[in-house]
Amino acid sequence: MSAAEDTPLRLLICAMGGEGGGVLMNWIVAAARAQGFTVQATSVPGVAQRTGSTSYYIEIAPPESRAVMSLVPMAGRVDVVVASELSEAGRAMEAGFVSPRLTTLIASTNRVLTTAEKAALGEGRFDSARLTEAAQAMARTAHLHDLAAIAEREGTFISATLFGALAASGALPLSREACEAVLGDGRAAEANRRGFAAGWSAVAGEDKAGETARASEPSAPVVAEPPAGTADWPEPLREVAALGHARLVEYQDAAYAALYLERVGRLAAAAAGGDHRHLNAVTEAARRLALWMAYEDIPRVAQLKTRPERFARIREEARMGRGDILHVTEYLRPRAEELADMLPAALGRRIMARVERGRGLPFLGRGVRLRSSGVLGFWLLRSLAAMRRLRRRSLRFARETSAIEEWLDAMHATLPAAPGLAEALAALPRLRKGYSDTLERGCRAYERIFTEVVRPALAYADPEAHAARLRGAIAAALADEEHRALDAFLAGECEARAAPPKLRAETVHVQ
Amino acid sequence: MERSFAKEIESLELGAGETFHGEGILAVTKALLESGVSYVGGYQGAPVSHLLDVMVQARPLMERLGVHVEPCTNEASAAALLGASIMYPVRGAVTWKSIVGTNVAADALSNLASPGVTGGALIVVGEDYGEGASVIQERTHGFAMKSALWLMDPRPDLACIAHCTRKAFELSEASNTPVMMELRIRACHLVGSFTAQDNRAPRVSMREILEKPAPHLYDHLAHPPATFAQEKRKYSERMPAARRFIREQGLNELHEGRESDIGIIVQGGVHNALIRALMELGLADAAGVSEIPILTLNVVYPLVPEEIAAFAEGKRALLVVEEGQPEYIEHEIGSILRRAGIDVALSGKDVLPMAGEYRAEVLVEGVAGFLARHKPALGNRVPARAYADEIAMLKEEARRHLQAPLPPRPPTFCTGCPERPVFAALKLATREIGEVHYSADIGCHAFATFAPFHFGNSILGYGMSLASNAAVASFQAKPPLAVMGDGGFWHNGLLSGVTSRLKNGGDGVLLIMKNGYTSATGTQELISSPDRREKARAGAASATAEDHTIEDALKGVGVQWLRTVHTYRVDEMRKTLIEAFRAPFKGLKVIVAEGECQLERQRRVRPLRARALAAGERVVRTRYGVDEDTCTGDHSCIRLSGCPTLTVKTASDPLKTDPVAHVTNGCLGCGLCGENAHAATLCPSFWQADIVTNPSPFERLRAAMRRFFTLGAVA
Repeated sequence: MSAAEDTPLRLLICAMGGEGGGVLMNWIVAAARAQGFTVQATSVPGVAQRTGSTSYYIEIAPPESRAVMSLVPMAGRVDVVVASELSEAGRAMEAGFVSPRLTTLIASTNRVLTTAEKAALGEGRFDSARLTEAAQAMARTAHLHDLAAIAEREGTFISATLFGALAASGALPLSREACEAVLGDGRAAEANRRGFAAGWSAVAGEDKAGETARASEPSAPVVAEPPAGTADWPEPLREVAALGHARLVEYQDAAYAALYLERVGRLAAAAAGGDHRHLNAVTEAARRLALWMAYEDIPRVAQLKTRPERFARIREEARMGRGDILHVTEYLRPRAEELADMLPAALGRRIMARVERGRGLPFLGRGVRLRSSGVLGFWLLRSLAAMRRLRRRSLRFARETSAIEEWLDAMHATLPAAPGLAEALAALPRLRKGYSDTLERGCRAYERIFTEVVRPALAYADPEAHAARLRGAIAAALADEEHRALDAFLAGECEARAAPPKLRAETVHVQ
Repeated sequence: MERSFAKEIESLELGAGETFHGEGILAVTKALLESGVSYVGGYQGAPVSHLLDVMVQARPLMERLGVHVEPCTNEASAAALLGASIMYPVRGAVTWKSIVGTNVAADALSNLASPGVTGGALIVVGEDYGEGASVIQERTHGFAMKSALWLMDPRPDLACIAHCTRKAFELSEASNTPVMMELRIRACHLVGSFTAQDNRAPRVSMREILEKPAPHLYDHLAHPPATFAQEKRKYSERMPAARRFIREQGLNELHEGRESDIGIIVQGGVHNALIRALMELGLADAAGVSEIPILTLNVVYPLVPEEIAAFAEGKRALLVVEEGQPEYIEHEIGSILRRAGIDVALSGKDVLPMAGEYRAEVLVEGVAGFLARHKPALGNRVPARAYADEIAMLKEEARRHLQAPLPPRPPTFCTGCPERPVFAALKLATREIGEVHYSADIGCHAFATFAPFHFGNSILGYGMSLASNAAVASFQAKPPLAVMGDGGFWHNGLLSGVTSRLKNGGDGVLLIMKNGYTSATGTQELISSPDRREKARAGAASATAEDHTIEDALKGVGVQWLRTVHTYRVDEMRKTLIEAFRAPFKGLKVIVAEGECQLERQRRVRPLRARALAAGERVVRTRYGVDEDTCTGDHSCIRLSGCPTLTVKTASDPLKTDPVAHVTNGCLGCGLCGENAHAATLCPSFWQADIVTNPSPFERLRAAMRRFFTLGAVA
């Protein structure tokens, strides 16, 4: 019995709850019905309506068809897959709905990150490149465009741009006019038409430009002027050093930036004559050193928060209209610890001793809402920013300097003979990030790894053999906030498991 | 209510011969009106929430016809509503989500089924089984069997669903028995067409009042000794009458086929998937014409023995396609065949999986297995493995390209949800006091079981969280925590949980999410929902602060330790939680977490704001953001929030390798980011922007002065 010619067109929409997938489904149904097709559609919104993955399924048969319509998409038997987000397209591929024999895939390349990806302590995002590669390999025809960005540009919703892209793909037995006819009238319809047209041209103009697919990628950053004395350094290191140097001039002064260059220079000398691993280690170390030396204390935060370009950025992000007025409020909660950090070491230690006795300081440790866009708030922050002149004598500076020097010594000790270990060690300061409790936890993890992994490695005859263990320890420290994975790792359990596969290897790449 | 059916409701007015286009749930409503129903009711829950929403929103039409609409406070009261049809010749229909709702309704259902009904009584249950289901996986079938309620499972086609709805009333009246109709999730949301009939105004209704109540007839009471006779009558009179009606009306459908020595008996709801499976095996065409004869059961209980026997006659083997466990239908068919002395091999759960949804993929394998065993000549001809192999290869290919499984995307709290801050506060509180036993409940707050919160030790049912830790409280050092929504509180929690704990003097902490609606099911109203006046007073603020029904009820039953905290005061909530857990008072401590459902609040605020903007009035809009310069990419803010608009992006600082936090334009300015930054001493990266549109001249002057005195930085 031949079934193929009567089989309805099968269309699966993969979306997230509350995103307008139902709207798109209804447009397709209405357009097909208006043209006399027999059409049936269904969905499983349920609880998934609250931003979870959800799907809509449509079957379109010729007019007067007596076809028995299915309510459920069948793996390998879907003619068109429309995905409103790239990883949802990936999910459809995982489930076998995208077939190279059959399926036209229309997917928006934007990512709406899942909570698991966002909540990672470092980089937890699924690699988009793998998703697009998979889409191109798995679909008979793949139309991949950032239809979310296009929708935003046109002031409409992704359902409209998806509909336009779908119509342009030729996968529907419907003309452009038939599709546009169901968009209705009124103000929302106008925006929908714009979105539809933009989605249509994204697909229709594919061979020419394909520029829409790249629209959301960040533009190349401005590379800082290379400072004197770095001319003969290898390319990636020179770039990082230039960025670091510029950062530290702005952070403190020229002398501080010179200290940075001197430190990097000594590392580069130690690695001289090495291979790419040596270069990777030094470049990564130069990056981490720049960030570390520009640690975030109260003056730094105040400095960053009062820069004119910062207010310009907020104005842009907040999408100010003409004639709108902006007020900016900062949520600060400085504790006695942070005050002690920025004060001269002796005074800072006395405050910390007081804190350790369980006593705080008046006005500290409670939440402050500071209006940084007001004259008073602005100048208060500016005065705090000016305190950076005291930074070299401060308690935190002393603490960080000794930790930096200890780390640099370890880098010097490992660089010539154990480049693998040096590469891992260069990435270790990555754990020292965040503020207050988060920073304390990060520093604790750093100290533990330094004491329990790095020092023993240095004392060992073959330090290079410890490189994997150090990498594993860093990954474990980034696996969870409570350091359960790190505890387990350092206790020697599940060494292999402690490194979550999601974490990317820290490779050097300068944008 | 979250979704408006205003446009769709017009199609409920269609007359005979006109074509109805729309959703399954709306088709059912239309068929109810065509059947001259006198009253409708129910309790919300996916996938039948919309049925109730449609009934409520169609009130003007309903009232014109004289149909009473009763959104009930739980399924028990919905089932009891059908009591009207015991003594009066009135048709009634109620709806709820099964299996959970049927469990709640069980007592009333038994007492309804025993005396039986005079007027037709229909229960439309959303059979929440398989993909997309949000409850435990059990079947309604068992309830139908034990109480002798008839169960329909219509083929998922709107014409068939509408036909079965109309016939259900006739079946109910012909056999004096309430009828259940199960609709699976996708059938409820099915968009299709059918030919309408005229609506019928009921003979007895709120417009056609009866002067006198029914007489006292002891035989119609579910009370001994009447119950003994009723039980007998169920099987001696009512079931035979039902079977007669089913046969005469041809409710079940017979599809002949060339391979007449075998046959398939399938539940109506699974018919379409079966046809697709047969198509895949080359045994059916797209129009559903199958080589193997099929008996499609639109009524799955009771079965009609004569029908089964006639279908089995002359066949060597039968396959029963019955979704879910146990195999009630297969067992019954076995008995029917055995009793009739028909020698036919019976297959079913031996070739099909016992549990799980019967998608076409599963059925391809099952049917192929059946043929291999019972008709090898045909079994050898069909491509039995080809499909499975193809799909396995497709999935393997995808795995190879993707290299790692994709992170799951479970549902989560909406942007601006007032419940999210409570879980941030709880996470902070447990950092101080240690972990506590957490009894979760049904509702939006169950999303706290997912990332980033990962809360919950048990879920025992709707409104059952407090009751479920009564024993736990007896052997735990710290009082256990029960979380429940206001929906759950009124559904069951007040009685099963609160009064029981008070009566027994037990310890414990109860956290009630007072957001004003049963939000997870689409924001239906509760007894404590803010009324129009309260909403008007609240304006853009949380309207639930205005209503004290929950607090009054708690005080009324004798709760002594009671605090109400607005959910967005994270630090205050954190302190209140700690206070509750450390309280010297041993007894029930209740925290009412007040914050209106953001979906409902936005429905009110958006038009207000749009009107003000259109009129050129001063409007302030708030949103939050992150300074990417100061963000170090540790994401601790996200682990305390999980808000869809708080995400990460690649840092524009080339020195930073970890992605930095970022707030998208979807931000509603709910305030949680700032509250968390303070309560958790997170980091100084969050900013709050208040954008004033149409500022006053004085404001403009002040802005100009600010610009001057900040050297132009604050432009």
